[in-house]
Amino acid sequence: MSEGGKSDQFSGRMGLIFASIGAAIGTGNIWRFPRMVGANGGGTFLIPWLIFLFMWSIPLVIAEYAMGKRSRTGTIGTFRIFAGKKFAWMGLWTAWISSAIGFYYAVVSGWTIKYFQLGVTGALNGEGVDTTEVWNAFLQSSGQVIFFQFLVIVLTLAAILKGAKAIEKVNIYLMVSLFALLFLTLFLSLWMDLSDGSLDGAMFMFTVDWNMLSEPEVWINGLSQSAWSCSAGMGMCITYAVYMSKDEDTVLNAFTMGLANNSISIIAGLAVLSAIFAVSDDPLATVTGGSSAITFLALPEVFAQAPGGNIGPLFMMAGFFLALSFAAMTSMISTVELCVRNFVDHGYDRKTSVFITGIAIFIFGTPSAVMWIELDSAGVAFPEFLEVQDHIWGYGLMFSGLFIAFTIWQYGYKKWQADVESGLADSGFRGYLTTGVPAFRNDFINTGDNDLYVNRVWDILMYIAFPLLFIVLMGSYFADMIASTDDVWNPSNPHGLGIILMFWGVVGGLFIGFNKLLVSRPLYRNVPEGAVCDISMLPGGDDPRVVLVGETVPTLD
Amino acid sequence: MSSKTVAISTRPSFGFIIALPLLLSLLAPMANASVAQEEQSGMAPEDVWSYEYANMIFPWADEGERILQFKEYHTYETMKERMLRLTQDNSDIFEFHEGLKGGVNARGEVVGVDSYEGWYYDHASPWLKITGDVQGGDYNPFVGDNGNYADRPDVLVVGNHHAREWMSYQTPILVMEVIAFSYDNIGYDNDGDGQVDEDPWGDADGDGILDDDGDCLALDASYQDSNGDGTPCGAGDLGVDEDYSEQWITDLVNGRELYLIPMLNVDGNIYDREVFCPAPAWESCPSGGWRKNLRDNTYTGVTPLPDLFEQVDEDCDGVDLNRNYQFEWGAPLGATGPLIPGTCTPAEGELDGSNNDVYNGPVDDKDNDGDGQINEDHVDGKDDDADGLTDEDWWGGNSEPETKFIQDLTEMNDDNADFSSEFKSTLTYHSYSELVLYPWGHCTGCESPDHQQLIFHGDEMAEMTQYTNMQSSDLYPTSGDFCDWHYGVHGSYCYTMEIGTAFHQHEDDIDHIAVRNLGVAFYMTEIADNPRERADLAMSDITNQSLQSPNEVNIPAKGNIPIDMCIDKSFPYSLESSVSHLMWRTVKPSRLQSDYGPREWSTTEWTGAALELIEDENCLIAGSKNGTILRATLDISETTTGQLHYKIMLGTLSGGDLYEYPDKGTYYTLDLSYREAYGSVFGSLFLFMVVASFVWGGLAVCLRMMLSDDEELINLADAVLEEEMKTEG
Repeated sequence: MSEGGKSDQFSGRMGLIFASIGAAIGTGNIWRFPRMVGANGGGTFLIPWLIFLFMWSIPLVIAEYAMGKRSRTGTIGTFRIFAGKKFAWMGLWTAWISSAIGFYYAVVSGWTIKYFQLGVTGALNGEGVDTTEVWNAFLQSSGQVIFFQFLVIVLTLAAILKGAKAIEKVNIYLMVSLFALLFLTLFLSLWMDLSDGSLDGAMFMFTVDWNMLSEPEVWINGLSQSAWSCSAGMGMCITYAVYMSKDEDTVLNAFTMGLANNSISIIAGLAVLSAIFAVSDDPLATVTGGSSAITFLALPEVFAQAPGGNIGPLFMMAGFFLALSFAAMTSMISTVELCVRNFVDHGYDRKTSVFITGIAIFIFGTPSAVMWIELDSAGVAFPEFLEVQDHIWGYGLMFSGLFIAFTIWQYGYKKWQADVESGLADSGFRGYLTTGVPAFRNDFINTGDNDLYVNRVWDILMYIAFPLLFIVLMGSYFADMIASTDDVWNPSNPHGLGIILMFWGVVGGLFIGFNKLLVSRPLYRNVPEGAVCDISMLPGGDDPRVVLVGETVPTLD
Repeated sequence: MSSKTVAISTRPSFGFIIALPLLLSLLAPMANASVAQEEQSGMAPEDVWSYEYANMIFPWADEGERILQFKEYHTYETMKERMLRLTQDNSDIFEFHEGLKGGVNARGEVVGVDSYEGWYYDHASPWLKITGDVQGGDYNPFVGDNGNYADRPDVLVVGNHHAREWMSYQTPILVMEVIAFSYDNIGYDNDGDGQVDEDPWGDADGDGILDDDGDCLALDASYQDSNGDGTPCGAGDLGVDEDYSEQWITDLVNGRELYLIPMLNVDGNIYDREVFCPAPAWESCPSGGWRKNLRDNTYTGVTPLPDLFEQVDEDCDGVDLNRNYQFEWGAPLGATGPLIPGTCTPAEGELDGSNNDVYNGPVDDKDNDGDGQINEDHVDGKDDDADGLTDEDWWGGNSEPETKFIQDLTEMNDDNADFSSEFKSTLTYHSYSELVLYPWGHCTGCESPDHQQLIFHGDEMAEMTQYTNMQSSDLYPTSGDFCDWHYGVHGSYCYTMEIGTAFHQHEDDIDHIAVRNLGVAFYMTEIADNPRERADLAMSDITNQSLQSPNEVNIPAKGNIPIDMCIDKSFPYSLESSVSHLMWRTVKPSRLQSDYGPREWSTTEWTGAALELIEDENCLIAGSKNGTILRATLDISETTTGQLHYKIMLGTLSGGDLYEYPDKGTYYTLDLSYREAYGSVFGSLFLFMVVASFVWGGLAVCLRMMLSDDEELINLADAVLEEEMKTEG
């Protein structure tokens, strides 16, 4: 117990909001979003992307906040309390996926800092700079990549070592700077685009191609962008909700976070597309290239042509990559914190937890940094080991969302059953609809703290839309992979489906096996003073080993 | 240590002594060879080949059987007996016939079995139906043959139109022997040199030398011209084109129907042999002989003067069968009308035939189409009387049992019931002149529509036989011949082989002349599926035909993308979309694209686009020659980006061949750029407003709520609550 039994809280609402936005906004907003807009018909893409913000991301974030705010524990504890003792492994899965991604995300974050450095020193905008050479040279020098990876981890650890207040402070500074830097970049981009006659980049980004709107692919891409970019259902918001003050509003926060995330995407998209359209002969070919390719190869070339002699490019380059590294850092912070929180919940000292996590992320991240640095057909270096890690764990994130939905469905069903037993509810389907389905919403979302009342629409989204969208998302991804990959089932094919299923199976199986061990440990809830966080109605609420921070665990046989 | 080194040092010398004899024995053959080379500059036939081959002893009969060994001529009787014998021994591929069964022919005439029997000796021409599983397939009740398969092209080979041209039936008999011997006798070593199928007909390896395996050329010069024609290792010499593939022949037999009529003019042949030219014919008739059939031109009642003897009147009787076919019949080119009996005289010498040797037969005075007019539409492929029917009332021709037989066989052999002749290739052997002749015969200085293609195949056969290829009429004009009728009426590629150097070739020359002209029959059999297309393909500059490469494709600013294929003018392309199409697919950046990995592509399925002929434009083949443009138009939207993969499958008219460009199994990759406008000012402004108000507006509302919530609303809400509680209380 680090804080001597005191609970750890954000100082206020803005702290939570900024931390959550920091978690949500990552490299995906800045380097994935423009590519998706380019590849999916410009403005056409914005329609599904916006729709799924409201259909998928915000409802899930609401659920996460609601769960974390009640359980006051990290992901493992939350599932242990909300889904029951048997399902604590779901939280472990969520924590593991987040950490596994954190392993290589630290490396990626390191790249962005390196590029900020390159931008500031003007190494990217001189005469005859070949951005491919710069990129290849960097990626192939293990020492440099590891150095920047290490730097990221150190900075992250420093930020979270002191707990919620520090996290909040760092996020506020970084996010505000990110806004400012992105606006600077956007301003320069629009200037560039306008100076060649028209704002064609902006025009493209906001023009709907009605034919493309009927293509399922555009909708699937919109869904996956929305699902990833917001970090909805990935446990981040469960984690940050632990530090919420007692009467925090979950719903408004969810909307604020989702909308802020999309706002940043639009600004970043506009900045990137305008700059590329201003310079490139075939902007769409450029923009649909690989993500890291656009970011580290195309954009430096584009930014180098910014107006204002040396100053414009310098500002643009430095501003953009600093914003990018801030986005990456804040996501890194939430990733590590998600892991650390789980250690702390189970009685580990925060400092120890932070260092263990930091060392693990460094050690397990190093292979991604240096192993299998290959050249693609165009002669551009890429880290294949890192890519394979992403391939394996990337979609594992989606299961965390499914587990959250499962928890909600289960709670509703049990509540209804209990009500039927006590004669409060009809045992027919109508009874289920009126008592079971809205149970989670009534008990944990519309608690009275929220300014925005959540109505039945949320139930419909959680019970019908979410499972359908989940199937579409996973199904289309797997179907695509099966259709386009040779030898897809062979687990030794690093790009196949076999390897994914194998790793998921092994890890999932291990975690289910660990479950008993996991729930045999005491769980310390971070409940703020004066808050009523009743968990007695929850499946895991009657566990005597679940106690408040500072309490002693009753000894059991 | 030291003793060991000694032992080792002695060993080589010891080993050397033991190995010496062996080493010397290795040198021995070299020594022998060099000695032999000094004595003689090449080998003798027996050194290379089996005794049998070196002495031209055919494997299907004993050395002493002179007729079967082609050392002596067949007669009608021995030929028929041999045909029956081979049919019995090869009943799976041979079926023996004489004439046709008859019935109602294609012209509505009732024809009996005897209609095809010669006027004088009453024999119908014996013939063989040759095809794999000859007892299977369909039965043709008029022709009387089995083994009719709609999917097997038919070929007609006819010998001995002219009675005295004896090599012209000996050669088809050799064809028959070779088929009987080679069918299913895979890998037979014809020349006994230990190699199999090493020297097929013609210049198989394209080096300009017929002797592909070089065994004849390896002989001493004194052995190289075994047929004595003055050309060493030429066509018909031992060791030239001697070891063809039995598999190939077997496949041909299984894939074609061959109608082999070795001796069409049985009447004339018997008369020539038994009466007109006393044996040996090459001595009694060195430059002449009986040519025609034995129609009695002086039959009482036919001519004003009575025919006193009612027997063969050598000066007057007979019809030249090869002037009796109906196409352009009667135009007296190289043919004569009947002479009045009594004025008929022998031509030049007594045994040279008569002075009406090219008599084309009687005029037909029947109203063939029953319209009340006579001879108003002559057989010439045109509708002379403009009544919508072509060639329906002929002046004459096909009046003889033998030509009627060819006529009805051609017209009634219709495997696929399309009312056209099955014979796409036809061949007739004649003697002599060492020529390959192709249509036309009836006009000079004229060219048939298939002139180039006919020349092509003629050249191929001329190469094989080392004969001269020329248009028939360039030798001398003839009307009513076999090939003009087959080509002119039935579109069949028809060749007349003028083989050998005499009518009655000396019997010592039978074997090598027959061998020299053997390959021609198989060549015609092979091309019977589609001779025009085969010629077109062979003449086309296929390797220089090209599909537009990515940098040649002209992508229009709007609309579908055209891709051109430039083909040779003579290429027999098919526009049938199931056969010829441009295959394309697009490649887009993959949705599976990793954020960290290389650019990945997702590929659509290949789809086919139909080709159309662009009539008013030309393209260049190999940069110089005009070619034909076939164009595919790809439905690719203006917004598509990524890559286009394309290749072309070009099928031919018969569907037999498929050509792929740029190459088998490869395709071109074209980068597709976005062609649509990037957007409109107002549309984008509108969507921007919508998105901005949703996202930024929404965010602003949230933040406002949040801020006011923090400061005022809570107080307000508390106040309200208190009010309520007060009022309630």
